[in-house]
Amino acid sequence: VTPSEGVRRGTGRILGMLESLLALGGLVLLRDSVEWEGRSLLKALVKKSALCGEQVHVLGCEVSEEEFREGFDSSINNRLVYHDLFRDPLSWSKPGKALPGGPLEALRALDKRTGSGPATIALDSLSWLLHHLPCPILCQTLHALSRQDSCPGDTLPGEQVRVLGLLHEELHGPGPLGALSSLAQTEVTLSGTMGQASAHILYRRPRQRPTLQTQWFSILPDFSLELQVEPLLESQPPSDLHTPSVDPTTHLTFNLHLSKKEREAKDSLTLPFQFSSEKQQALLRPGLGQATSHIFYEPDAYDDLDQEDPDDDLDV
Amino acid sequence: MAAAGTCGTGTRSTGSMVAAASTNNVTSFQRRGPRASGADSGCSRLVSIAGTRPSVRNGQLLVSTGLPALDQLLGGGLAVGTVLLIEEDKYNIYSPLLFKYFLAEGIVSGHALLVASAKEDPADILQKLPAPLIDDSYKKECDEDVCSHKMEPDIKMKIAWRYQLLPKMEAGPVSSSRFGHYYDISKRIPQELIETSKWHGFFLPEKISSAFNVESCSLTPGYMKLLQFIQNIIYKEGFDGSNPQKKQKNILRIGIQNLGSPLWGDDICCTENCDTSHSLTKFLYILRGLLRTSLSACIITMPTHLIQNKAVIARVTNLSDTVVGLESFIGSEKETNPLYKDYHGLIHIRQIPRLNNLIYDISDVKDLAFKLKKKLFTIEVREFLCLSSQS
Repeated sequence: VTPSEGVRRGTGRILGMLESLLALGGLVLLRDSVEWEGRSLLKALVKKSALCGEQVHVLGCEVSEEEFREGFDSSINNRLVYHDLFRDPLSWSKPGKALPGGPLEALRALDKRTGSGPATIALDSLSWLLHHLPCPILCQTLHALSRQDSCPGDTLPGEQVRVLGLLHEELHGPGPLGALSSLAQTEVTLSGTMGQASAHILYRRPRQRPTLQTQWFSILPDFSLELQVEPLLESQPPSDLHTPSVDPTTHLTFNLHLSKKEREAKDSLTLPFQFSSEKQQALLRPGLGQATSHIFYEPDAYDDLDQEDPDDDLDV
Repeated sequence: MAAAGTCGTGTRSTGSMVAAASTNNVTSFQRRGPRASGADSGCSRLVSIAGTRPSVRNGQLLVSTGLPALDQLLGGGLAVGTVLLIEEDKYNIYSPLLFKYFLAEGIVSGHALLVASAKEDPADILQKLPAPLIDDSYKKECDEDVCSHKMEPDIKMKIAWRYQLLPKMEAGPVSSSRFGHYYDISKRIPQELIETSKWHGFFLPEKISSAFNVESCSLTPGYMKLLQFIQNIIYKEGFDGSNPQKKQKNILRIGIQNLGSPLWGDDICCTENCDTSHSLTKFLYILRGLLRTSLSACIITMPTHLIQNKAVIARVTNLSDTVVGLESFIGSEKETNPLYKDYHGLIHIRQIPRLNNLIYDISDVKDLAFKLKKKLFTIEVREFLCLSSQS
């Protein structure tokens, strides 16, 4: 993970963040909180994919359709296909505008609807869906949605289906959050300091190490993104790396370094298991003139010198 | 097994015994004639199947996990009839490698495969298996690594003279009829190897009907279907000895990916007190029963870092035979720690089974780390640098 500081390159990367979020495909998870809301980022992404000419389907559960379409101009609004679950979630009114069967059927209908070409599906809130559906079923449906590729192996990035999901992370425990994170190809966590929003983006590219990026941004009223410079933090915590490192090789009771003479003496030493000419001589001619070991034996009074009969001292 | 059956030494004397009986007609004991030996080599008590070998410790039949270093740590290999559970690392990068090694080893040894997944199509998984390395290319890989690795000036090792004449131990690859092979991760397995192998795939979204009717059985429908599928294959293909007229005995290698994740329909990763909390443990229990009565070995990868209830992890560990945990350094503070800079993660051998044994077969080394090089996945003993080098 290489955390990179906020982008300082300027306008060249303005399109970069939204495009890179959309480029990977699969499930893009936007985690927001009460302080840093994510719906504006979701709408910015929706606008970006609509401008690229893709089909955009929106499943709206938390806000009304008018409120969602607010701020988009007519060209984008014509590209948006809105599926409304907000007005009548339990489908009390007879088959009219509301989708029958509840949220699960709505999701499955989205699965079948995006037949050809690249498409973007925005789920206005995964939190709402998590409250109405069991988590495993939601995970399985999301997986089926984002796996629209028909050809195995490497698919072209343009042909994939992107699922953008907004998740309010304060509403859920670590279980569902972890489960959805493991499914997501891109995970954006929104936070910020001092009025400036930031996004911590985790990219999980297949067969590559995940990369973490931090970008400071702000969303303009027309839902386009502007990158900001990271605000300077007033109080930097004193970094612990500047403590003088203690050299552990000082004040030892043994010698770690050899001087040149000592090294020579060590190299010239013949170790006992090494084969040398002296050893060879000693082995070939054992004991000839070289008494390497002596045995001194003084017999006691009771010692038996006769090796043949061990019971000689017994009075039997 | 019929140990009193036709034995190799017996057949030699069979002729003489029969001759003696016919001339004397004293004894009524008749030796059975030499039966037409099919695949059943009655001479040895141990079944000789390609890609397996008996353990030197307890005579258990072992298969290779695909990674010879892991085989060594597990005491020679994975015993037939047992489950190897891999606890996935946090971003699920390294555990699929072990999974693929296991399956690739099965293809190279000629075993049958059963691949089950809820995330990926088994045909896609098989396409991405690593290619096996033949002898010469592994030597080249090793030499490349050695040259690129910064080495201190060569201190010639002084060996005792009695050992200088002994042949050096070669830990390199062996020919394909032996046990344990090396693989090149950067290359894909050749297509003809996959086509000649016998494999069965289980992809959950295809097997589960779209009508999500909640059944009142204690097992999640996904698990139930998988167990039925495995049982069906074992019975049909005769891995449990039910069809003795079939061809030569073979091992079935079962690979189950991401068991316990929400994609299998199990909510054990989502909540702490879930209704179906016993579904996973029941599945493992029944699976182990199926494995023990058949010639099969199973590898399961499980995202245990997502399981909310820690008691379930302990139960799952007890229900599996061999448990290996992977801990990768990505995203944790260990990534920048100089102690760990050479490695990508740690391997924890959490459990080794006691099969027909009173003692464990644990290796002496507990401090193991892994590293994913460009072409190889290596497991090494972590060298602890007590004194930080100043340079």
